[in-house]
Amino acid sequence: MKHKEMVYMTPMPVRIWHWLNAFGIVTLCVTGLQIRFPDHVNIFGAYKAAIRLHNTAGVVVSISYGLWLSYYLIVARSLVKLYVPTLDDLKSGILRQAYFYFLTYFVGKPNPHHSTPESKFNPMQKAAYLVIMFILLPLVIFSGALLMYVAPLRELLLLLGGIKLLVGSHFLLASCFTAFLCVHIYLATLGHTPFAHFKPMWNGWEEEMVEDAEPEKKTDTKLP
Amino acid sequence: MHAYNRMMRMFLAVFMLSAATVYAAVPENGKCMGCHGRKDVKSIAGNSVYIDPEKFTATTHSIVGCTSCHDRVSSGHPGDGSAPARAVCGDCHAPVSVEYAKSLHASKARCNDCHNPHEVRLPMFMSGDDINKKCAKCHDARKILKSHAKWLPQAELHIDSLLCITCHTGSQDYVITMSIESRLPGSKDAFKTATYEELAKLTSGDNIGRVIDLNGDNKVSLEELRAFNHHLRGKNMRLWGMMTPEVVTHSYQILENRWDCTFCHASGPKAMQKSFIAFPDKSGGYKRLAVEKGAILDILYGTPDFYMLGTTRSTPLNIIGALIVAAGLSFPVFHGFFRLLTRKNRKEDDHEA
Ligand code: HEC
Ligand code: HEC
Ligand code: HEC
Ligand code: HEC
Ligand code: HEC
Ligand code: HEC
Ligand code: HEC
Ligand code: HEM
Repeated sequence: MKHKEMVYMTPMPVRIWHWLNAFGIVTLCVTGLQIRFPDHVNIFGAYKAAIRLHNTAGVVVSISYGLWLSYYLIVARSLVKLYVPTLDDLKSGILRQAYFYFLTYFVGKPNPHHSTPESKFNPMQKAAYLVIMFILLPLVIFSGALLMYVAPLRELLLLLGGIKLLVGSHFLLASCFTAFLCVHIYLATLGHTPFAHFKPMWNGWEEEMVEDAEPEKKTDTKLP
Repeated sequence: MHAYNRMMRMFLAVFMLSAATVYAAVPENGKCMGCHGRKDVKSIAGNSVYIDPEKFTATTHSIVGCTSCHDRVSSGHPGDGSAPARAVCGDCHAPVSVEYAKSLHASKARCNDCHNPHEVRLPMFMSGDDINKKCAKCHDARKILKSHAKWLPQAELHIDSLLCITCHTGSQDYVITMSIESRLPGSKDAFKTATYEELAKLTSGDNIGRVIDLNGDNKVSLEELRAFNHHLRGKNMRLWGMMTPEVVTHSYQILENRWDCTFCHASGPKAMQKSFIAFPDKSGGYKRLAVEKGAILDILYGTPDFYMLGTTRSTPLNIIGALIVAAGLSFPVFHGFFRLLTRKNRKEDDHEA
């Protein structure tokens, strides 16, 4: 038999960051779409409104990224543990996880990874989040920040190969974020109920189905 | 309507050319320039009455001739103290005068405030900077920047890459005109439009178009543009793009639709693909060469330093972006499909986590 158990998975600062970031990124994707294709997309009325909103959301996401980074580096100090894949993860973990998602999931086999507050992400998640948070997001923030001040930063833009290249990279990075968003949201519905993974991002507590005979787990993750 | 006016003026010019004016006027020009073409010629009051011969000969007004406009030069000139008459521009440019008189600027500046009759040029033979300098004589650049920044994001960039008349007259048919800018190697000064002499050093012959137009066919292909841009990187030079009108009007006004950014930012990639490169000539004017269509959209080396949101986006890049998004989207679609088909396998047993 199994029973429900609650685990405090996501601390408050991380949750605040996550929704600020999510809301920001979605806004950026939608406004960005209008900025690039104003002749096809008009969601926010005036073009200027889209630009203003995009720039504001850009700043919000940049600040929230800073907060996220300092929280994990300074307050929680769990950045490396949570986000950097171990050698094992790279050698076999990622493969095992992919094997699960693409094959054994459909047969009904269990997820090879069990989330705990100390090891929240499966090896695939670690790799993906690492790329997103330490490569793509900094790059998109950097290119966006430059685009906000084209005339004053012209020298820097010339050095980087011109505004065209910068906007082009910004656009491709934006496409990557949109793609990531699709996969990310979908994978989040693969919990034991479609919304099982959304709840802990909201209130911190994850509902888990745990086999009865697992006493050592109960002690450290019981409801207070 | 405008084309008609221009035609009429062309006829007028041709008519004047054939109607003996040229035979009479051009030798006259030489006579007058004998004094007025010398740098040190001054009036009694000490003002310079010098007229730059190189610039004057390059104008259409030189065909008209000094005495067409100064038709009563006394025989005792300059000693007799009587000032020669001056033509009114409207005599020959009636349509422009009528149009300008109706604009809100008519009471603010006269033709001569914006045009030196001895140095007139068509807009396509001028650099964007030179055209904007006309306005800067009276409109302080910093004040304009400040007042426009109130509603125009990145106003500095806009003012740098647009003509004032783009937004303040009903001028039409916009193209991208690029000029070659340079600065001293190693210096951190602002870029300045490269001079004829500077570019002449880079080419062996007289035709400085060859700096970019390598095969000399008077057209710039994307290949040539790429080669030049590639070359430029090391040379403290750059191509500076501006959006310029082909047809200039004098209907000065504050145009409501210029508040609307999409006047410029949303005409789609088809709109502003026509582009030119302006080369300085010896007389201080510019000659331009057409650039292959679509060069403005090239990502890497077409016009690396010019990008108008929404207008000069590149289609290949859009396709790559769409493929990336489609790849991301296909995962939920396919996985979701098989998930639906195999949902029975997971029904009894809540294994997933
Ligand atoms: C002998 C030299 C000489 C020649 C030839 C000459 N000018 Fe002048 N011009 C002068 C000088 C000197 C002045 C300045 C007079 C003054 O002190 O006001 C002057 C002044 C003028 C002015 C300006 C008057 C003003 O309003 O201040 C005009 C216009 C002019 N000349 C036109 C002509 C034209 C047209 C011709 C040819 C038909 C011509 N000039 C030939 C020497 C010359
Ligand atoms: C298209 C008409 C036109 C032609 C052609 C023309 N001028 Fe003028 N010129 C004018 C006008 C108009 C002014 C008055 C400018 C002003 O008020 O600022 C003027 C002014 C002048 C002045 C006074 C000084 C100055 O610069 O204001 C001189 C000298 C002069 N012209 C000489 C000449 C000479 C010499 C030629 C021929 C080589 C010539 N002009 C051809 C229209 C013309
Ligand atoms: C005697 C007749 C005449 C007078 C007076 C005259 N122009 Fe012109 N102007 C011409 C002709 C002819 C052309 C060439 C055809 C055309 O574009 O209209 C021309 C061309 C121009 C051009 C375009 C330059 C080019 O190369 O085509 C400008 C700008 C101009 N004139 C300004 C003025 C101004 C300003 C005045 C008054 C100071 C003036 N003109 C007075 C006859 C005149
Ligand atoms: C506020 C400034 C201003 C005033 C005032 C002004 N112009 Fe212009 N005009 C321009 C500019 C800018 C251009 C485009 C650049 C050029 O060709 O000089 C132009 C262009 C022209 C042209 C060439 C147009 C073409 O493409 O065929 C003519 C002709 C002309 N002006 C005549 C006049 C006449 C005549 C007057 C007086 C009634 C006048 N302008 C007053 C700014 C002005
Ligand atoms: C001879 C001086 C002079 C020149 C040259 C000049 N202007 Fe003006 N302009 C004025 C004055 C004076 C005013 C009224 C005060 C103000 O609004 O700054 C004015 C006002 C304006 C206005 C505002 C009108 C309003 O209703 O508020 C515009 C727009 C304008 N100018 C555009 C231009 C452009 C574009 C050029 C260059 C092609 C130009 N001006 C060249 C003197 C000039
Ligand atoms: C992108 C379009 C655009 C460009 C480029 C532009 N303007 Fe304007 N300008 C406007 C609009 C729109 C207004 C009305 C703003 C308002 O009423 O607050 C305006 C207002 C003005 C005014 C009157 C208000 C004031 O600032 O005193 C002047 C003068 C003026 N512009 C001059 C210029 C000059 C000179 C240039 C070139 C350096 C220029 N503008 C370039 C769009 C433009
Ligand atoms: C008259 C034409 C015109 C109008 C109107 C105009 N723009 Fe622009 N815009 C340009 C040009 C030209 C550039 C500069 C291209 C370059 O030099 O790279 C530009 C550049 C920009 C940029 C920077 C480009 C980048 O890649 O980051 C932004 C942001 C921008 N415009 C926003 C706006 C907004 C918002 C409005 C309306 C309030 C507006 N523009 C109105 C022509 C215009
Ligand atoms: C994942 C997040 C983001 C997405 C999806 C995104 C998307 C886009 C897109 C599609 C464009 C249009 C570019 C074009 O014309 O090709 C754009 C422009 C721009 N982006 Fe972003 N962007 C993101 C993040 C940011 C950030 C973080 C900033 C600022 C720090 C920023 C600042 C800008 C600026 C300044 C422009 C130019 C237009 C403007 O001034 O608004 N972007 N973005």
